Amino acid sequence: MSKLQGNTAIQRSEHRFAIITALPGLIALIVLVAGPLLYMFFNSLFIKTLAAPIPPQFNWFGNYGKVLSDSRFWNAFKNTMIIMGVGIPVQAFLGLTIALLLSKPFPGSRVIVAMFLIPVMITPIVSGFQWKIILNQRFGPMNYLLGILIGMEPKSWLAEPFLAMVSILIMDTWQWTPFVTVVLLAGLSAIPKQVYEASSVDGSTMWGTLWRVTLPLLKPMFTLVVLLRIIFIFKIFDPVYILTGGGPGISTETLSLLTYITGFKNFNVGITSTLAVVQLIAMVIIAKLFMKLVMGRKER
Amino acid sequence: MSGLKRSMIILAMIILVMSGSLWAGGDQEAAKEDATVRLAVFGDQGHNLVPFEWIEEEAAEMGIELEVIGVPFTAVYEKLKTEFVGGTGAYDLVVFYPSYLGEFAEFGYLQPLDKFFGNYDPDIDDIVPAYKDLYCSYAGDIYALPYDGDVLNFYYRRDLFDDAAEKAAFQAAYGRTLEVPETWDEALEVAEFFTRSAGESLMGKPLDQDMYGFSFLGTRGFAYGWWLNIFGAMGGAYFDRNMNPQINSQAGIDALNMLAELKRFSPPDVMNMGYEELKNAFLHGQLATMVQWSDIWKKANDASISHIVGNCGVAQMPGMVQADGSILRRAAGPVGRVIGIPTTTKHAEEAYWVAWKLTTDISLETVSTSATGLDPYRYSHVENAAAFEEFGPAWEAEAYLSAVMDNLGVLYPDLNIPGAAEYLDTLDIAVTSALSGTISAKQALDEAAVRWDQTTDTLGREKQTKIFNNMLDIWAKYGFWED
Repeated sequence: MSKLQGNTAIQRSEHRFAIITALPGLIALIVLVAGPLLYMFFNSLFIKTLAAPIPPQFNWFGNYGKVLSDSRFWNAFKNTMIIMGVGIPVQAFLGLTIALLLSKPFPGSRVIVAMFLIPVMITPIVSGFQWKIILNQRFGPMNYLLGILIGMEPKSWLAEPFLAMVSILIMDTWQWTPFVTVVLLAGLSAIPKQVYEASSVDGSTMWGTLWRVTLPLLKPMFTLVVLLRIIFIFKIFDPVYILTGGGPGISTETLSLLTYITGFKNFNVGITSTLAVVQLIAMVIIAKLFMKLVMGRKER
Repeated sequence: MSGLKRSMIILAMIILVMSGSLWAGGDQEAAKEDATVRLAVFGDQGHNLVPFEWIEEEAAEMGIELEVIGVPFTAVYEKLKTEFVGGTGAYDLVVFYPSYLGEFAEFGYLQPLDKFFGNYDPDIDDIVPAYKDLYCSYAGDIYALPYDGDVLNFYYRRDLFDDAAEKAAFQAAYGRTLEVPETWDEALEVAEFFTRSAGESLMGKPLDQDMYGFSFLGTRGFAYGWWLNIFGAMGGAYFDRNMNPQINSQAGIDALNMLAELKRFSPPDVMNMGYEELKNAFLHGQLATMVQWSDIWKKANDASISHIVGNCGVAQMPGMVQADGSILRRAAGPVGRVIGIPTTTKHAEEAYWVAWKLTTDISLETVSTSATGLDPYRYSHVENAAAFEEFGPAWEAEAYLSAVMDNLGVLYPDLNIPGAAEYLDTLDIAVTSALSGTISAKQALDEAAVRWDQTTDTLGREKQTKIFNNMLDIWAKYGFWED
């Protein structure tokens, strides 16, 4: 009994020690992560602007109603979903194809892989500016090359709503496909050779191996890369700001850009905070749905 | 005392004296360094900040060192407002657009400048009154000095309008003489007439590039100004006296539809055209007419960047025919630049000297060069055609300045009440959305009107109404408003 009591005392002491040592980290976490989030949520409950020295007014969930009934919010949401819905599958497909091509070493393959990282390393502002020049209707190389290669008439890439969205997708794909490639390449290199040998012994074709061996084993990497891309696309700002500024009109305005404009052009703290909270919730829901989809299939 | 010992003592004394004087010299240098006032100057980056470099030496003699910080053209408000709200005191002198003056002055971000006038006379009476009262003053005090007298003008290619073959063809097609358009309906016909594909003939020669009859600034930011020209000529107003938005009135919808019609004869990338793109298209001979700020005439006559030297005509903005047969014209004045001094600066007097220097002493140089995009805003500018003669003969310089003054006479001023940045951004989005074809003119302007009401409510309807009415009173004084 006394031994048991002694053990419990030691356990209590260890427990206390663990709490004491973890406490500073926990406090830092609360202050640095939960604090701003709570403050953001708190602000979202007020009519609060910095545009004029007006005292904040408690508004319950009025700002949420205002945001969710605002056509401009839904337009920005739609645009963000388009970039996500079109961009991620295209980037996943291209990333996988390139990763498969690079998975078998050949002379210069390492250099190519290293070069693939360049677009990811370029600051989004710089890549936005670079693509603005490339896509310029008058002197941009895109129209020139398309004219030479397929005889296409020059297009106003950034001046027409549909083409402006296509331009953002092109730029986003250029910048992020290498990231997908590199992650999948790492996944491919981790698949044991014996698995392929076993598949070959079983008489599997190249497509059969890809479908039944490679892709299932790459699933964790795919999940990771898609999740990261969902988060990145929700936050997409710099390239859109530079390339189209959300225009023409609001045809390419994304959620992040709208949040920025509401915050730094209109200085509406209440609505900006609401937009940020809604964006966070939407991001979590979409990520959850995706995970459920992936896990559900796994279970089956 | 031996000779060596004496020499050593003399040497030591020389070293002592020299080091003393060096010490004193260092002290003087340090004192001079301490006396130098470093002024942080804020403005939109590019050619319009160049004059600050011109006065660097003179400023140094006054003990002033200038550190110029430029931000993108469309980011002036957000950057400046952020600093003002934060009370950072990051800037001693700010170049900004006058549509923000009402807000910055009302909320105490800027200090009145009248108190400095005794130090250096800004020659206020020389400033074109509309600029002085609408762009520099707020509630009876002067809060800024003018730096750039922006107003939009109608530009045309003089060689095209003078060409006999083109005149004959126009007469045959439209049954009237080819002349610089007086009305927007005429501008539309002219735009249609001159829009031609590469290979077609223009002035008897085949075109090697597409030619467009008209163009405007279509990119987000200040596109609303191009709509205001037509809206104003149709009798439109921002709000009525009770602060009810009037932008979605029939005049607003008709003006937007008119601009959409003109877009048919504009370059296909017009909705991505900012100042530079629009200027370059005109200077490269791709446009027959366009609407732009006043500096373009100087750029068009600069052989190092222009293909149309000697052929740039500047005219008064077209208008709309009224019931009595007269033509109502309005020329919008988006952007413009003024210089103000934040209340947070510790060097207000030095900052004022810089502002005075630029807007008085060397102002003629700043507006009569193609090195900047600054435009005339003083009588002494527009009455001094000789200063502009490097861009063309005296008659042309006089015609240019006369057109600028004519357009100033029918100015449709930017809204400059608190919240102007938000109101105008909302308007800009409505205009560009409708022009890009994603939404109808009526729907776009109706939505913008609802948002304007929301902005007014957020900022306080009663106060906003009072400030707007004060602004209208000044408008009325200059004939820009009739109740």
